[in-house]
Amino acid sequence: MSLEMKNVSHIYQKGSAKESYALRDICLNVNEGEFLGIAGHTGSGKSTLIQHFNGLLKPSSGEVIVDGVNINGKEAKNRLKALRMQVGVVFQYPEYQLFEETVEQDIAFGPRNLGLSDSEVQQRVVEAMELLKLSKKLRKKSPFDLSGGQKRRIAIAGVLAMKPKYLILDEPAAGLDPKGREEFLELTAELHRQGLTVVMVSHSMDDIARYAQRLVVLEKGSIKLEGTPQQVFAQPDILSEIGLGVPMLTSLLLELHEKGWDVRTDLFHPEDVKREILRELARRERQGGGV
Amino acid sequence: MLGDITIGQYYPSDSFLHKLDPRTKIIAILIYMISLFVVNNFYGLLGMLLISILVVMISQIPIKYFFRGLKMILFIVLLTVALQIFMTPGTIVWQWSFLKITEEGIKQAIFMGTRLVLLISITSILTLTTTPIALTDGIEHLLKPFQRIGLPAHELAMMMSIALRFIPTLVEETDKIMKAQAARGANFDSGNIVEKVKALVPLLVPLFLSAFQRADELAIAMEARCYHGGANRTRLKALQYTKRDLFVAGICVCMALLAICSRMI
Repeated sequence: MSLEMKNVSHIYQKGSAKESYALRDICLNVNEGEFLGIAGHTGSGKSTLIQHFNGLLKPSSGEVIVDGVNINGKEAKNRLKALRMQVGVVFQYPEYQLFEETVEQDIAFGPRNLGLSDSEVQQRVVEAMELLKLSKKLRKKSPFDLSGGQKRRIAIAGVLAMKPKYLILDEPAAGLDPKGREEFLELTAELHRQGLTVVMVSHSMDDIARYAQRLVVLEKGSIKLEGTPQQVFAQPDILSEIGLGVPMLTSLLLELHEKGWDVRTDLFHPEDVKREILRELARRERQGGGV
Repeated sequence: MLGDITIGQYYPSDSFLHKLDPRTKIIAILIYMISLFVVNNFYGLLGMLLISILVVMISQIPIKYFFRGLKMILFIVLLTVALQIFMTPGTIVWQWSFLKITEEGIKQAIFMGTRLVLLISITSILTLTTTPIALTDGIEHLLKPFQRIGLPAHELAMMMSIALRFIPTLVEETDKIMKAQAARGANFDSGNIVEKVKALVPLLVPLFLSAFQRADELAIAMEARCYHGGANRTRLKALQYTKRDLFVAGICVCMALLAICSRMI
């Protein structure tokens, strides 16, 4: 079971002077249980791409397949809602979708739309709030009185309460302070560990590199690079050409390498980088001592 | 979902109409509108129709793009036509229980329908060929004489331009929120009227909230750049009449005269 895109193209404002390709012939697989990162510059088609996963946008050509069913095909017509629930999409700045009087009611909006019983809905609200580490005290509060970070958690809880199999996050850490950012990324990793398939979209390589098992790099609506983070970051020239660059620590290694240090340049986890630099330092010391 | 609204949107091009002074355009359109209601027979109406077709052609706006904007008012036009057909008293040509169509009704319906379409077409040509800034400048200039009797010309023009400027933004915002709620299983299309209205709450609450917030931010941003109303404000691009405007003025006078003459036929 997986999310699959077959030769998907999307054209905005077809037939007018402003016609433009947002996506061009995208073939993409999201395997169950994986953490996929989609990187791309502003306007590369990331947001358009993810809206195809739950049928909010229809491809101009090509197929989007969720668990074996083409979501724009005939057999999906009556099940579009159910299929949509399989794929939870959290948009950029999701806090702008909050509207209910209390946090609890807002989170319950999704599950209630699924037609679940009241007790089941309650159960899911409690679970979703726990999952996002939202204190129980917040339940009866108005979502508009809370901080930005809390609002965002509530919005995401609202999506998770529908128990999607796939969670797609569009720039989940955008606009948060460094601490909130850190917490948030850790949270997505935690959700992934609990068995959710996570697709994270971002233009920040640092954010994506941390947890993604596989990376897809978009440019101008096409897939430019694909592979494990290591494979992708091994091509810093292409990445900087697109304007994305490599994670900060990788670029540190690259610079050291240029200065003549004998270090690997395809690492990005802080621990790995630390070890690599220490190793090289130790080697240089030994050498230096020898002279 | 809502990408089709073109009312109030500018379409960049380099046509004769785009280069025309906004004041000329506004006055010309006012004259056109008045003429549209002055004419009272089919010859006159045909003339007005031809003029507006010509104007659309000169504007270099793709026909498809132009008509997409008109689709929005289709319902209003149909309603007007239906009301005119069935409600006008006169010689009966067709009758079925309480519904009756009269000769006068058909005539009235064609007249009102055409007038409405032409009215909207010509005004959307104004916004399609004029940038909001130029439009505001034009309106402000034209309203200046009324300042003496206490009309806040600059403020009115500013409000208008801000409103126009934010139509596309709000449409985009609506689209975004609709999608976000649809992703949570909201349904905007089906159900009876009560359900449909209820379904709008998750859309309207966030929309209003962000609109107020945006207004607040805009006000602060304007004040931070020392905006304080119209007094002593200078412009980057001062409006200047050219030969083009004289030419259009001449045409407008001819059009008005012809419209009046057409009543004599």
